[in-house]
Amino acid sequence: MSSNPADVSRSGFDRFSRLKALQPRTHLPKPEPKEEFIEPQLSPERSSGAGLLTELLKATVSCNQHGEHLSVITSFGGYAPRTPDSSALHLLLPNAPSEVGDPSQWLFLDTETTGLSGGTGTYPFLVGLAWWEGGGLKVEQLFMREHSEERSMLARVAEHLTKRPVLVTFNGKSFDWPLLETRFRMTRTIAPPPLRAHLDFLHPARNLWRLRLGSVKLSHLERHVLDWDRGEDLLSSEIPRIYLDFVRSGIAEPLLPVFHHNQMDMRGLAGLADRILSILSDEKGMIEDGMELYGLSRICERRGQSERARKIYEQSIGTVLPKETDRAARAALARLAKRDGDFERARELWESLLGNSREGYEAYEQLAIYYEHEVRNFEQALAITREALAQLRRAHKVGMIAASSFRRNKLNFEHRRSRLEGKAERPPDLFSQ
Amino acid sequence: MASSREALAPRSNPTLNTVQQILASLAAHNHADEVLTCVRQIPAREATFCPMPDWVRPELREAYEAKGIAQLYSHQAATAELVHGGKNAVVVTPTASGKTLCYNLPVLNQVLENPDTRSLYLFPTKALAQDQLAELHDLAHRLDDRFGVYTYDGDTPSDARRAIRERGHIVLTNPDMLHTGILPHHTKWMRLFENLRYIVIDELHTYRGVFGSHLANVLRRLQRIALFYGSDPQFICCTATIANPGELASQLTERRIEVVQENGAPSGEKLFVFYNPPMIDRNLGIRRSYVKEATRLANELLARKLQTIVFANSRLQTEVILTYLQHRNQPKPGQMEPIRGYRGGYLPRERREIEHGLREGRIRGVVTTSALELGIDIGSLDACVMAGYAGSIASTWQRAGRAGRRSGTSCAVFVASSAPLDQFIVQHPDYFFGSSPEHGHIQPDNLEILVNHLKCAAFELPLSPDEKFGGVDLPDLCERLAEAGFLHKSGENWHWVEESYPADTISLRSVTSDNFIIIDITGGDSGKPEVIGEVDFTSALTTVHEKAIYIHQGQQYHVEGLDFDHRKAYVKRVNVDYYTDAIRYTQVRVLEIEEELASPGPAAHAHGDVLVRSQVVGFKKIKFFTNENIGAGKLELPENEMHTTSFWVTLNHELLQSLPFSLSDRQSGIFGLLHALASVATLLLMCDRGDLGTAIGERMAGTGSEAEWQEFSASAMEKEFFEPNLYVYDAYPGGIGFSEPLFRAYDTLLTQTRELIEACPCENGCPSCVGPAGENSERTKEAALAILAKLCSSQLPVGGNSNEQ
Repeated sequence: MSSNPADVSRSGFDRFSRLKALQPRTHLPKPEPKEEFIEPQLSPERSSGAGLLTELLKATVSCNQHGEHLSVITSFGGYAPRTPDSSALHLLLPNAPSEVGDPSQWLFLDTETTGLSGGTGTYPFLVGLAWWEGGGLKVEQLFMREHSEERSMLARVAEHLTKRPVLVTFNGKSFDWPLLETRFRMTRTIAPPPLRAHLDFLHPARNLWRLRLGSVKLSHLERHVLDWDRGEDLLSSEIPRIYLDFVRSGIAEPLLPVFHHNQMDMRGLAGLADRILSILSDEKGMIEDGMELYGLSRICERRGQSERARKIYEQSIGTVLPKETDRAARAALARLAKRDGDFERARELWESLLGNSREGYEAYEQLAIYYEHEVRNFEQALAITREALAQLRRAHKVGMIAASSFRRNKLNFEHRRSRLEGKAERPPDLFSQ
Repeated sequence: MASSREALAPRSNPTLNTVQQILASLAAHNHADEVLTCVRQIPAREATFCPMPDWVRPELREAYEAKGIAQLYSHQAATAELVHGGKNAVVVTPTASGKTLCYNLPVLNQVLENPDTRSLYLFPTKALAQDQLAELHDLAHRLDDRFGVYTYDGDTPSDARRAIRERGHIVLTNPDMLHTGILPHHTKWMRLFENLRYIVIDELHTYRGVFGSHLANVLRRLQRIALFYGSDPQFICCTATIANPGELASQLTERRIEVVQENGAPSGEKLFVFYNPPMIDRNLGIRRSYVKEATRLANELLARKLQTIVFANSRLQTEVILTYLQHRNQPKPGQMEPIRGYRGGYLPRERREIEHGLREGRIRGVVTTSALELGIDIGSLDACVMAGYAGSIASTWQRAGRAGRRSGTSCAVFVASSAPLDQFIVQHPDYFFGSSPEHGHIQPDNLEILVNHLKCAAFELPLSPDEKFGGVDLPDLCERLAEAGFLHKSGENWHWVEESYPADTISLRSVTSDNFIIIDITGGDSGKPEVIGEVDFTSALTTVHEKAIYIHQGQQYHVEGLDFDHRKAYVKRVNVDYYTDAIRYTQVRVLEIEEELASPGPAAHAHGDVLVRSQVVGFKKIKFFTNENIGAGKLELPENEMHTTSFWVTLNHELLQSLPFSLSDRQSGIFGLLHALASVATLLLMCDRGDLGTAIGERMAGTGSEAEWQEFSASAMEKEFFEPNLYVYDAYPGGIGFSEPLFRAYDTLLTQTRELIEACPCENGCPSCVGPAGENSERTKEAALAILAKLCSSQLPVGGNSNEQ
């Protein structure tokens, strides 16, 4: 283990060598550090790198009072906007202003950023914008070749949003838009344009497809819901590194797939928005997929449209659903039926649910409540409570239930049991027997 | 010599009488003089009042009047006037002197004048912020809720955060949250930053050393962002008594700051007692357990119906003392437990309940760690017992201040452990009661710390070449960071070009974030491994090497394995009768001498930049109590290099030659002297022993030349140094600002080191003075004192003849 202290002294103790010397240094064999980024190139190559990019993308340099940035325009033909019906919009955005119903006011937006953690040091280096125009989707991608181009890029975003003030995104409510707001604020001169409305399709997509697909990444939905193939694509997580490498090295080619990825996301977003709106407006029962039906009923339930929710839940349990989804749908349906005072239907559903599952225990509980308070048959309520406890013990014995859930349920049912035992001993009503 | 007992006037004062009884019973043991080293009566002090200033708005005046405050203490008025006049201020406030009013009055007045006004209050801990919240809510309530006050910390629910950002006139937070949660998201806090008028820094004295150096940089970032939003906040700081409040405050804030030092609050009479547990083995310097003695004292006080607070220095000790006291003071049937514990780890609700019980007097005794040392309102108690020295005079006064009735007498007892600092303090009451010699030192330009914050700053706002950030050449440093791939210059400015979020990886409580985590694998395959703690890189090598006994919260663990690359140590719980002491070879090379002065001896002292190379090569197993060496082991651990700053003393050859000791005695004397020097240095610097490293090396002809590095020799202890350098270095990469102050305090350092060794009653040295005796020489203590005598002689070094004894 020989060491070489000389590398500290040789560089003459300037500040930075000292800084390096501050790192805890070890002389154990260490794995070679991975090359983290491409070595910086000389500046002539850099300018030609950006030039090459302009050429490869057929981009134009866009100018305004704040400076310049690149702009790439693409069109996708053959997609016509569908005017969404009001019930669908209501499910998506209650109290939406009237512009929302007019797709020509929509601006689709998706950004690519230098990091995923947020905060003021995260830059949107590529802003994809899209709108319906001339029987198709027009996409404009704004790109900053340098950080100093951010302002002019943002000014352009603001201009677009003034023209089309309804923002449409996928996960833009919690990511893209707050990030852009931060960027606008950081300029201190360009105000974030006021939005008339913001439609974000992440949550409805989650409701509709998460159970079926597991992931609700846009590219994933595109393939499995829209049945579109975007060809070779890169992972979103690689994107920040690619851009930062470009900034440092000026090498342009690796950026091309990023532009493609963003275009595909824009196209996917427009397609998905259309698809989701059509599902939400489905009054005639055109949907056949049980999982989609289940998701739709959840959205309806959440928006307080319980009548429609009940109808669709019923429809969904008529299809072939995976066991867990089927249980969830029945439990939800039972809740709605109970709320409507339809105890017959609720009881049927609860009875079909009994067993060792979350919904199963909920059903035991609900049935016990039903017999105790509706039917006022305490023996029956007690019997069900005891059955639940027996079920719990069995499940616990064979390790089919999580310890915390076992404890919680056990306490709950034991409490109920002792209360019911007290009640069942004496006649509930002096005159009833 | 060390004892300064003063006659107590016979008076009819219940507390005084009680304490006298206890003291008398202690004195009944025949070694009273040695045990009670100081009994000092601090007379009561009258309040100095000033009228409420004219500019205070009538509704605020009324709100305070309704709380029973119609006039101000002089220091409150002075601070409020300074702030009202647009100045930055730091006010020195002992416990219970009404410090919060110093800042709340001017801040609230301004909020009422202009509802856009925003203020940020910084407290070193979450608990303190919570405590202030109650007081401010009360005031807000009295003022028809015309302003919003919120705490913002890791516990703040995310749905409440937006409201706080918009509506919080006063936001109470801590430096860590400011660093990771607020500054990197400043756009969300636009409202606050655009209108930021006041920054309050409470408990300023806690921001020293590493933590203070970090805070100074966080404040640089804060002021940068305030400037971006066009605001220029004023600073209002409060501190316990330290020697340099103005200097520390202006170093932290980089502003000109006015100091308010006279305290106008009244205080009752106080009896301050220093208690040194009696010796049970004079040879080894072993005393009776200070924890047991403190417990016994507390029990006596409680038995005489005095409401008592007991401070211990670790969680384990609080639990030990608590168990004993609870056992002896059982609750009456149907009543609450009269003795309670209070420390970090207790739930907030439980804490509030205890604080309340103390204020109401239903809780008679509380055993705590430093958790109750700072501002939390528990009313005033009758007596305070401190088991072990709090680490600084400032903290000791704060703890003692927990007992103190406005009228009547209170008492504070300090029970010394056998640690060098405790022994020094307990035997030098004049040092303690004299004007505070403690300075808060920081080094905001520590390069490692500064660069980390510069990264955060670049993340927050692009760096412009005209900016100033500490005392560094900003464009140059930015270039370097750009080369390393962190920044990129675009246009005029440098931008952050990393994916990561830099603040996340920077802890304000340590220099590097390179830590080892300690994993308990006692359960084996069936149990779940549990992370029980973290140690920083440097201490990891000496505390969690393989086969080490690592002590965590009083529990011993055997280190089963050290995964160096992944920074993990695996430990198992054990119960053994020994501890381990790492054998570490340290070499220090001077890179650059900042200043050097010749001094009597002949000797020289200096400070400057050094490179410290150290390697842990083995360890010893040492039996508890007897300190026998019962085994050893070899270790193969990597060398570690650190660039830092150091203070050192060079002993000239003539000095050593003139000593009438054998070579090995002389060597032990030098090591013993260094041990004592470092102990006293921690006292002067208000730092922990772990903040300083020590080493002995040969004085070199010049600096910087590589040829002078010798291979580590296994015999560093026995090697004869021709002209030894005694290094006391900052144990943090880059240095944390201790070396220059030590250099300046050279004379005090020597005098006090001499007093420490001379006053120690052990025979040949003990851990309290020159380190454990007997390892190498019987004459360590003697030799160390002989060297000190030379160093302290007033004779100037004129070369050559200085060999009279």
